[in-house]
Order: sequence, then C-alpha cells, then structure tokens
Amino acid sequence: MTQPPSPIMGHTLRRMVFFLLVTLTTLVALGLLVSVFQPDGFSPMELLLLLLYTILFSWICISFWTAFMGFWVILLGRDRWAISRQSPDTPPYPAAPPPRTAILMPIYNEDSERVFAGLRAIHQSLAATGQLHGFDFFILSDTRDPDVWVEEELRWQDMVRALDGKGRIFYRNRPENTSRKSGNLEDFCTRWGGRYRYMIVLDADSIMQGETLVEMVRLMELHPRVALIQTPPVPVNRESLFARILQFASSLYGRMFTAGLNYWQLGESNYWGHNAIIRIQPFLDHCGLPKLPGREPFGGEILSHDFVEAALLRRAGWEVWLAYDLEGSYEEIPPTLIDYAKRDRRWCQGNLQHLRLAFSQGFNALSRLHFLMGVMSYAASPLWLLFLIATGVEAYLQTQQELVYFFGENWQPVWPVSFAVEMTTVLLVTLTMLFLPKLLALLLLLKDSRLRRAYGGMLGATLSVILETIFSVLTAPVLMLFQTKFVLAILMRKAVGWPPQQRGDHQTGFAEAVLAHGGHTVIGLIAGTLSYLHVPAFFWWFTPVLLGLGLAIPVSMLSSSMALGRGSRQLGLFLTPEETEPPTVLRDLEDGLSKNESVLPVLRETPPSRFVQALVDPYVNALHRSLLPEREPPGKRRRHYLEGLIHQLEEEGPGSLSPAQKRELIADPDTLLRLHALFWSRPPAKMML
Amino acid sequence: MDRRPVNTLRSSLAAPFGEPLLESLKAYWAALGVSDPNLALALSEQTLRRLPDFPAEGEFAARTIIAAGELLDDWLAAALDLPRPSPALTAARAALLSGAVPDWPAALFAPPGAAGIALDRLRAAIAEPTPPPSPGVMPAQRIEPVWKRS
Repeated sequence: MTQPPSPIMGHTLRRMVFFLLVTLTTLVALGLLVSVFQPDGFSPMELLLLLLYTILFSWICISFWTAFMGFWVILLGRDRWAISRQSPDTPPYPAAPPPRTAILMPIYNEDSERVFAGLRAIHQSLAATGQLHGFDFFILSDTRDPDVWVEEELRWQDMVRALDGKGRIFYRNRPENTSRKSGNLEDFCTRWGGRYRYMIVLDADSIMQGETLVEMVRLMELHPRVALIQTPPVPVNRESLFARILQFASSLYGRMFTAGLNYWQLGESNYWGHNAIIRIQPFLDHCGLPKLPGREPFGGEILSHDFVEAALLRRAGWEVWLAYDLEGSYEEIPPTLIDYAKRDRRWCQGNLQHLRLAFSQGFNALSRLHFLMGVMSYAASPLWLLFLIATGVEAYLQTQQELVYFFGENWQPVWPVSFAVEMTTVLLVTLTMLFLPKLLALLLLLKDSRLRRAYGGMLGATLSVILETIFSVLTAPVLMLFQTKFVLAILMRKAVGWPPQQRGDHQTGFAEAVLAHGGHTVIGLIAGTLSYLHVPAFFWWFTPVLLGLGLAIPVSMLSSSMALGRGSRQLGLFLTPEETEPPTVLRDLEDGLSKNESVLPVLRETPPSRFVQALVDPYVNALHRSLLPEREPPGKRRRHYLEGLIHQLEEEGPGSLSPAQKRELIADPDTLLRLHALFWSRPPAKMML
Repeated sequence: MDRRPVNTLRSSLAAPFGEPLLESLKAYWAALGVSDPNLALALSEQTLRRLPDFPAEGEFAARTIIAAGELLDDWLAAALDLPRPSPALTAARAALLSGAVPDWPAALFAPPGAAGIALDRLRAAIAEPTPPPSPGVMPAQRIEPVWKRS
C-alpha cells in the first residue's frame, strides 16, 4: 500500500514554489528596470525608484501568484489539503459531551433593527438544520448611545419572545467599553467561556447560513489541533452602484484569491475578525492581549486584534485555517466610496501597528508576513504616490539633459540607446500582474454553467469585468490619496476628524463629495498642468491617474446612486450568485426587515427617543433597570453630579444633554427610577420631555 | 387586597395635595395596565396608605409613584417567591408589564389558586439576559520586540 505524501513536506513544497515564483518574477522585472538605468550609472532618484519598484512589485506579485494558484485549485476542482477535505484526527475527547457553541455578535452603536433581523435570519437558518440545541446566541453590546442601547434591549426581548429563546439568546451591555471589540470578546470569554467549547464570532453586518455554522463545528470536532477556522465572507445586500461593483468583484475574484491563500498558507492562515469559529480554551490560554508599551500609533492598545490573535495561536502551536470552500458566509460593505474610505481610516491605524508586531519575539515566519501584508495594505498607497512623484521628477530631469552625439576625437556620432522596449516590457509585466487575475476569474466561469448564469452569463460577466476594471482604475488614485492622508495623519498623531461610517444605503450629496474629494480634484489639476507643461511625454502615461483625481467628485456621487445600482442590475451587470439566486438566509433577512412583526407592542411604533421612553414607559423603564449590572451605589460626589443632570433634564429638556450624559442617567437604576417617578407625578407640561 | 375606603386617606394624606395627586396615581396605574377605574382607584388608595412608612426624602408626589411600583413588587415577590429588592423582581415587573400576561390585573387578583396559568406565563416571560457565570482565565501574553532580551 502506498503511503500518502507527508502533509508537512507537501506544505513546505507549496510554500517554496509560491515564494520562488514571487521572488523570480520580482527579480526579472527588477532586472529589466536595472538594464534601463544602469548604462550611465544610478542616480539617487533612480535608486529610489528601484527600491520603491521592488517593494511595490513584490506586493503585486504576492497577490498575482495567490490568484494564479487559486485559479488552478478551482480549475482542478479540489485542494487535497483544504481543511474540509482532510481526514479526521483522533478526537481528544472520546467521552466528552457534544460541544456547545456560542454565536457572538459584538455590536457598537449599530442599527439595531438590522442587527436583530440578521440574528433572527441566522437563528431561523440554524433551526432548519435541527441543530439549534447546540448553539447559544450572545449579543455583546458595547453601545454607548443611550437611544440605541434601549432599542437593543427591546429588540433582544422581542427576539427572545418571538423565537422562544429564553436561556438561549442572551444580551449584555458593558458598563465600560475597555479595549473595544477585543475587550468585548475577552469579557465574554472570562465570564462565560467555560460553558462553551467554541465561539463563532460575527460582525454587526454578518450573516451566516445554519448549515455553514454546523459544518464549522463539525470541522473543529474532527481536527482538535485546529484553533480557528475562518470562512470567506462574501459581500451582499447593498444596492448602490459602488457597492454592487465591489460585491461583484469580491464575489468573482474573491473565491479565486481565497483558494490561492489557502494554497500557500494552509494551517498558518489568518483571522479576519468575524465569520470565524474559535476553540475557546486555546483562545483563553494564548490570546489575552497586552497593552503595548509606548505611545500610539505603534504603542498602546492593540487595535487590529484579529491578526494578532491568529499569530498568538500559531505561536502556541495551534493551527489556523481558511475554509475557502465553505459557502454561506456573508457580510455587508460600505455603500459609498466615502464610507469605504472612512472604514479604511478605522482599520489603517491598527494595521500600521502591525509593523511593530512583525518584529516581535516568537511569531513564526508566516505570521510575520501576515503582519507585513497588513501594513502594506495601507503603506502601499504612500509608496505608490512617492513612486509616481519620483517617476515624474526623473522624467523631468531626463528632459533637461542635452544629448551629446560626439565624444572626444570620435568622428562618428554616438547615438543614444533607446530603452523603450525594456520600459514597455516593465509596464506590460506590471499591468499583466494587476489585470490578469480578472481574466482568470472570468475564464473559470467557462467551467461552471450554473455559476456562469448566476453572474449574468458570459457576456454580462465580461462586460461587468471591463466596467469594473475601468471603475477601479478611476477610484484607485482617490483611494491612494485617502490612504496616504490617513497614514501620514496617524504617523503624525493627528486626528482626521470624520464622522462615523454609515452602514446603510445612502447617497453622497454634492457638498459631502466636494468636502471629501475637492482636494483630490485640485491635486489632479495641478499635477496634470505641471506634467503637461514640463513633461508632456509623461503626461499621457499619467492620464489614468489624473482622470481618476479629476473626476473624483462626479464618480463618487454617481457611484453612490442606488438608482444606478438598481439600473445596472436590471441590465444584468455586476450580478452575483447571491443576487441571482438569494440563499434562504438572505431572503429571511430581507423579509425580517420589510415586515414589522414585533411581539412587543412597544416596538410597533417608533418614538422620537428611546431614551425618553426608558424614563417614561413603565415597561421599558423596568426592563432597562432589570438589565443593569449590579454595582456599588454611587458615591457622594457622583450623586451630586447625577442630581445636576436630573435638574438639567427637568429644566432644559433631554435635548440639552449629551449622549454621554443621557447614558449616565439611565445607567444608574436609582436615578432612572427617580426620573420615572418624577415624570408620572407631574402634569406633562411641567416635564420638558 | 386591601380595599379600605379612599375617603379616609384623602383626609389624612392626600388632602394637602388634593385631587391631582390621586389623578396622577390613577393615571400611573392605568399606564401599568389597570384598565378598570375602580381597581385603579383602590390601588391608588392602597398606595397612599403605604406612604407613612416611606422614607421621608424626595418629592412627595414622586414618592407616591415609587410607592405604587413598590406595591406591585410586594405582590410579585409574594406570588413568585422572589427576594426583594432584587434584580429578579425588577425583571418580573418588566415581564408583567410587557404584555406577557394579558389583562394581568384580572388574572393576578383572581382568588388564590386561580392565578396559576398567569403565574406560569409570567415566570416564562421573565428575562434571562445572561447565563450563570462560568469564568475562564485569560492572561495577557508577552509581546516583546526581537531585539529585547527575554
């Protein structure tokens, strides 16, 4: 009987092949560029260009070869070392009871209606599998906004009543949101972690199919050496043109990239923060996050905790997998270009912090690479900008050189050597690396007729890829400038000062667009004028970037349009399988959002303020008080402070209080009861509510 | 239930504050779900009767509202055998007011033994926000730069 090849050898071989391809491709492209610069020696500007090109090209190469590997994996139809295909290990708990899994939804000032509609859809989908008894739901609220807080409590109660979920669907709001999301999860683990073998972490806009949840638990049970399995969340449900284009791109190209990532990362994969299952005991043992010494941006609390937790698990010898072939995992994306940039702003600081972690003790090589890739997802933008500026300057310097045809006593002219072929090759190689994955993804559709139809047929999908490519070329320079601004602001410890990201569909107005993109347009006009006047040859190469910047305002506004998003759908453009044949869990979510079938009468109407309702309505007041954590009565100083707020509320009304002050009032049970009593003991005219 | 005549109370307690006090109490009982005006009046009387025992701080009218809630809590604590004061009792009050027991005054002020179904419904409706604790220890990990000696 032939022995199956050793997985360790196979894993090593895969990684060797992958990194060899990345290295060789980078060296070839670099060699071409060196051959252009070398003949008359390297100027400092040329050395800078070579350095930047090496970094940026190797970054593109990793992405390209990942997609290429993914292409072959999908084309051949299987990956023998995917976690879903591996034979089971020896279970470590032969006599252990069936596992219990906690489904965690950490939330922070989110749209409660959407959050609970999503949870209900997941619950419904899980119930359909007949495996509901193995799962508990936790809504882990870090919400600070008093109105949203009260709304969450009511929706939670409504969900419990409607789904008979007492003792299975839980809710808690943390008094202090220490360490944000990672602190929120840590609070769960340290308080209730002992009850569960696994936790499935969701995001506020996550949706997962019941079958997928059950399969995740099954895989964890089969492989006790695995601490975390990440599923690839597919973006869904948005209607704006911007989001539909992104949904299409993520869906079509994303499956190839995730297959490729799994090809070379295998059991040393990464954690993306949600839509993943985690074995709780190793998470408890190894994922307590320290506060990093020093000041922000590299010190302080660890912001992008997910990468770090995966690296810590790997450091302790546990495996982390990306189940690229597990379907039924969804998320929602920002609806507009500006919201997308706002989300980048939040993520940017955490990713830059990874630069420090990449050089910390004990992490394995692939974890360090994950950290560096996290850094590069944002650092690439300022580097590209620098590369463009350096190229422009170099081109300008070239135009200033006078050509000399006769040297010394030579009577024959020495003609200048043309490097047009080499430069064109460098450009073509770079463009191939950037755009070939799109073509490969399209080719994969030829293999699967069901999928082809789901993407709108070969013609529709091809047209969509072309339009998506044009759109990404137009928006790339804008995102480059946004991200450069964020990176610089973070490094200089300056706040960028943007309002919170809006998750729901909405359109970008003219004023908002001008405010966000006015600077981009001006930069585009200045760069265009300068290059046209001083380096005309460079200007024409530069036009895609200039066009993106110059059109930033209209592109941002038009792409936020829901009418255009729906129109493109009717034309069969940017279709995804989730749009063409929505899975039940997404249909249930849509139904839940469109119908208001609340069990609690108090939810059938929308009052102007849930905060006021918590003061006035006897039921809402009692429910809220019953959910407040037990704590020491406030001290004298605090009582005086609360007293002052009560007087302010009585005399000037709730509008005079900040959200934080309102929260303070309803976070104290005695104050809440007193306000309730004050309201009911006075004629309404005397209470300014 | 204690159904002593309301007039006595008006003379001894409510008189200095007049009708508005009784009206606000009745309105409050109505907001709690007591739709029968006679029952609301009787409960208001009973509420006012509790006030001499009430802590003499805060505004008197507000104290009557709190007393009404306390009266309800007394009854709930006895019916459900709950300690008072306790978060469970507040949760029971919330369950009662949530509509889980339709027309709760009729059901709960029924003769002893006849409130069984209503009480069962009430128990089932009491919120259980979190499970019993089962704590785990999560020590902070050491993350040191490679150039720092461990």
